[in-house]
Amino acid sequence: MSPKTPLEPTRREWTKAAGMAAAGGVAAAATLESCSQPVRLQAWAPVSIYRAATYSEELYGLVRRIIAEHALDVRGKRVVLKPNLVEFDARTVINTNPKLVHAALEAFRAAGAADVRIAEGPGHRRVTLDLADAGGYFATVPNFESLFTDLNLDETTKVDFVRPLSKLKSLYLPNTILGCDLLVSMPKLKTHHWAGATLSMKNLFGLVPGGVYGWPKNVLHWAGIPQCIADLHTLFPKTFAIVDGIVGMEGNGPIQGTPRTAGVVVAGASPVSVDATCCRIMGLEPARIGYLQLAAGVQNLGEELIPQHGERIDSVATSFALLPELAGLRLSR
Amino acid sequence: MLYSEDLLGRQNADGGWSYFRGGSWTEPTCYALLALAASGTGHAAEVRRGMSWLQRCQRRDGGFAPRESVQESTWVTALTLLLPPDTQGFDRSRAEAWTVDQTGRESGWVFRLRLWMLGADSSSDSMSFDGWPWYPGAAAWVGPTALSVLALQKLAKRGGPASRSDLKKRIDQGVSYLLARRCRDGGWNHGSTRSLGYDSDSYPETTGLALLALHGVHDPKVNEGLARGEQQLAVCPSSEGVSWLRMGLGAHGRAPRAPAAGSVANQVDGSKAPAGHGGVMEIALAALADSAQAGKNPFLDL
Repeated sequence: MSPKTPLEPTRREWTKAAGMAAAGGVAAAATLESCSQPVRLQAWAPVSIYRAATYSEELYGLVRRIIAEHALDVRGKRVVLKPNLVEFDARTVINTNPKLVHAALEAFRAAGAADVRIAEGPGHRRVTLDLADAGGYFATVPNFESLFTDLNLDETTKVDFVRPLSKLKSLYLPNTILGCDLLVSMPKLKTHHWAGATLSMKNLFGLVPGGVYGWPKNVLHWAGIPQCIADLHTLFPKTFAIVDGIVGMEGNGPIQGTPRTAGVVVAGASPVSVDATCCRIMGLEPARIGYLQLAAGVQNLGEELIPQHGERIDSVATSFALLPELAGLRLSR
Repeated sequence: MLYSEDLLGRQNADGGWSYFRGGSWTEPTCYALLALAASGTGHAAEVRRGMSWLQRCQRRDGGFAPRESVQESTWVTALTLLLPPDTQGFDRSRAEAWTVDQTGRESGWVFRLRLWMLGADSSSDSMSFDGWPWYPGAAAWVGPTALSVLALQKLAKRGGPASRSDLKKRIDQGVSYLLARRCRDGGWNHGSTRSLGYDSDSYPETTGLALLALHGVHDPKVNEGLARGEQQLAVCPSSEGVSWLRMGLGAHGRAPRAPAAGSVANQVDGSKAPAGHGGVMEIALAALADSAQAGKNPFLDL
């Protein structure tokens, strides 16, 4: 048997991570000195913030730079890129732009990955390939159909949660995801009318197979949306995140909002720190986003605890419009 | 190539059908069997093998799982009840009972009491009728409700013990649910018509399916749905969407023709439809739509 690499979590690591996160945060056990003392402030994994004005050829070099910056060793590994495909509406921008996904595909191949697939399981529309076609994936990604796995219809394995935060005890999950070495969550930068923001962690809802749970995956709603997001994050703690913030969506996201240009790509090895950074870019207070609170546990989400490469948050910050119901999430600076 | 030959060529060694490739699933297996039955070309041995696979998905509670490796029964149970009564191989009466018992969680008294205690309005049309969920314990949605209504309507037509008053009540509730979940544009989407004050748009495939389940219903809302369905059909790029719209509109006496932009000839009238992606569902639904257009609708006829 070949030795384990950093990208291959063992079952024991998964169980340990799940237990620690359920207890209050991945880093909590190592940082609490005693019950009476404040939590030690521990730095999160670094986040890259880069300007990208358009969906141009420059994205190919940018993603390669991000992979190098985070020292992702994917040589010989199976990588799955998980964009966010929801619905298609020519009047707005709902889905992750296929140009960024193709740039990631090429970059991971160039980095030596043995296999790079694109996979998604949309929550509303039954025919995923029609949705991908409408979203420009067939036109942008050569041989898209042979590279794509519809996670709604993939082979599944039942996975039990260890001390879940939600009411879920287990979930059937796609073997394509359970068997990959690196999952890359590639959401679009959007506000969300229920969760506040939909980013790399909320994007994991697309892993849950519609073929078993339906369209929408309503069992997740009944089990608690923020809790389910945090539980899915616990199952896939080594997810890398690359967020399409070039043109995002503000207002009534994730479907009926308005396009908003932010001109950034945000990436990192900790979905929690990437999503917290994206919230700040959109003008949202990450500590008020329920699933970020749950996933962070006792660990502080302070901006000073998230090392950054590239641009500073305040230099790219773009205040996204919020529905009145979500006004309380606004970041106060 | 005839649809039936295409379907037979895609049957898995275990007797079932996958969506595209790989392991067998209940949904494409049911549609393939329905399409083969509609083709009237025999294939008794293949149908027997399909039914044999399907039998393995029936669970102890009488319902069917979406695939063999899943333990729980789900909405696909309704699809098995759409199969012709002479396709034997599973306990139909227990599947019927399972389907009749399923309701959306939002229509249960516990949830309504909770809404009442929170001061929320639970009296709106969309909360008043018992639809069917995709998965037990979740809310009702348009897709499983429409298919369950179609299944129970077939049972009611067959008569016998199934044509009970509770069956009629469930059908009426399902029809009312579908009428209440119509989008503002006239059609249907997955079942969420409005969120935080914003109207949602309908989809071609769910509009076609809902119209099919509402055959014989005379209501101005249905007429608006038909108008929306005809608009969608004119521009629909989806093979499955076109098939559902053809069946839905046809069930109301409309004579839909598929859009001319595609590349696959309708085997009834030669009109063109989107090519699709070669999936079993696309092939089976196109066959079923052709059959319906030729006068034999496998969802409605016994």
